[in-house]
Amino acid sequence: MIEDRVDELLQKLQKYFSHITASEIMNKNVITLTPGRTLWQAKELMKIRKISGIPVVNEEKKLIGIVSIEDIIVALERNRIKEPIASHMTKRVVSLTPDEPLDSIISKFDRYHFGRFPVVDKDNRILGVISKKDIIRTILERFRLIYVHDERRSQILQKEAEWFDKSLITGDYVKKSYADFVFQINCTDIDLAGAGAAKLKAFLTKRGIDETLVRRVAIATYEAEVNVVIHSESEGSIYCWIEEDCIKVRVEDHGKGIENVEQAMKEGYSTATDHIRELGFGAGMGLPNMRRYSDKMVAMSEVGKGVVVEMIFCERG
Amino acid sequence: MKLKRICELLNCKILSAMENFDELEIKYAGAADLMSDVLAFGKPGMLLITGLNSPQAVRTASVIGATAVLIVRKETIPESTVELAKELGIILLHSNMPMFKACGELYKLGLKDPISSEDA
Repeated sequence: MIEDRVDELLQKLQKYFSHITASEIMNKNVITLTPGRTLWQAKELMKIRKISGIPVVNEEKKLIGIVSIEDIIVALERNRIKEPIASHMTKRVVSLTPDEPLDSIISKFDRYHFGRFPVVDKDNRILGVISKKDIIRTILERFRLIYVHDERRSQILQKEAEWFDKSLITGDYVKKSYADFVFQINCTDIDLAGAGAAKLKAFLTKRGIDETLVRRVAIATYEAEVNVVIHSESEGSIYCWIEEDCIKVRVEDHGKGIENVEQAMKEGYSTATDHIRELGFGAGMGLPNMRRYSDKMVAMSEVGKGVVVEMIFCERG
Repeated sequence: MKLKRICELLNCKILSAMENFDELEIKYAGAADLMSDVLAFGKPGMLLITGLNSPQAVRTASVIGATAVLIVRKETIPESTVELAKELGIILLHSNMPMFKACGELYKLGLKDPISSEDA
């Protein structure tokens, strides 16, 4: 039953993430065996690593087979468990290419009912393996961002008012007028970048919020605010809501927007000019720092329309 | 280490400070010119050593809860930076010593790195 629901979920999700390829999903940390090893050793390895199949490779790391739990069971029945893998492994392996898209990968899972597929390069050298768990992990990771070239994103962007008025995290309308703290970001004076975060810090401290929590909020907000000042070329706003068990911050602007949010999320990626760098910014740490210090973060952007960053900070016990 | 000792050692000019500031104890120090790096590694109570002399150095220090900022290498410090330090209650020091040397001296005398050391 659970398996069916996983499949159903994957079917639903794949259309939003159809551009993800095998190389992005695969687990590169592949456990492999050479054909001279025994089935007994394979069984032990499966038990320890809690996996249901192990690719078999030759000295050149080329894929020559796969040994599955089924192969082990058959060998046990025939009392051949101590024999080398070579004569018992499945030799007709269905593999994936690194640029194979998600829908093709999912259809292979449906067609063959294998637990995992090896990913190989054009010389049949193993690059990684993909199980359904890897797909779900990748999708969940992507869900932390709603990013460019994503169908779901374009749907949201078509209703322009929506992403500026609705929460990216909960989907509810954002009651900006009910915010506990509001700050208008001035993009014309770089020396003022961070003034809002500093004010927010003082505001939260005064409210008696836990010091560590306040610090995390301040750091992430500071990064978001600096981004508005140095990248957006537009005015922006900081909103903060103090809720019973968490603090929510939303930083938005109607400026240039980010071309590729996913790329911007990578540490060290930066489009800042030398001038900005001289001012101590533009290290490509902004979005990664926001993610590091918040419990949940979603960024939404479209070129020419601006950026909305929403962050939730929870108190940890 | 007492802030007083740090000031003497690095021949610091004190640009912003509160009363009895030199009795303050500093355990951690870190150096960077990139403020995002500071945000990533900063620890409350630390001394921030930087070559950046803009108000951002002070503002970043305030956001991470640093006690003091030591600006090195730069000839002059803008008035706006000093003013902000006073406003935010951040101790602001200035030394002509190069960053590498300043760090080396402080490291030699037992100041700790905020990233690798245990929690304060």
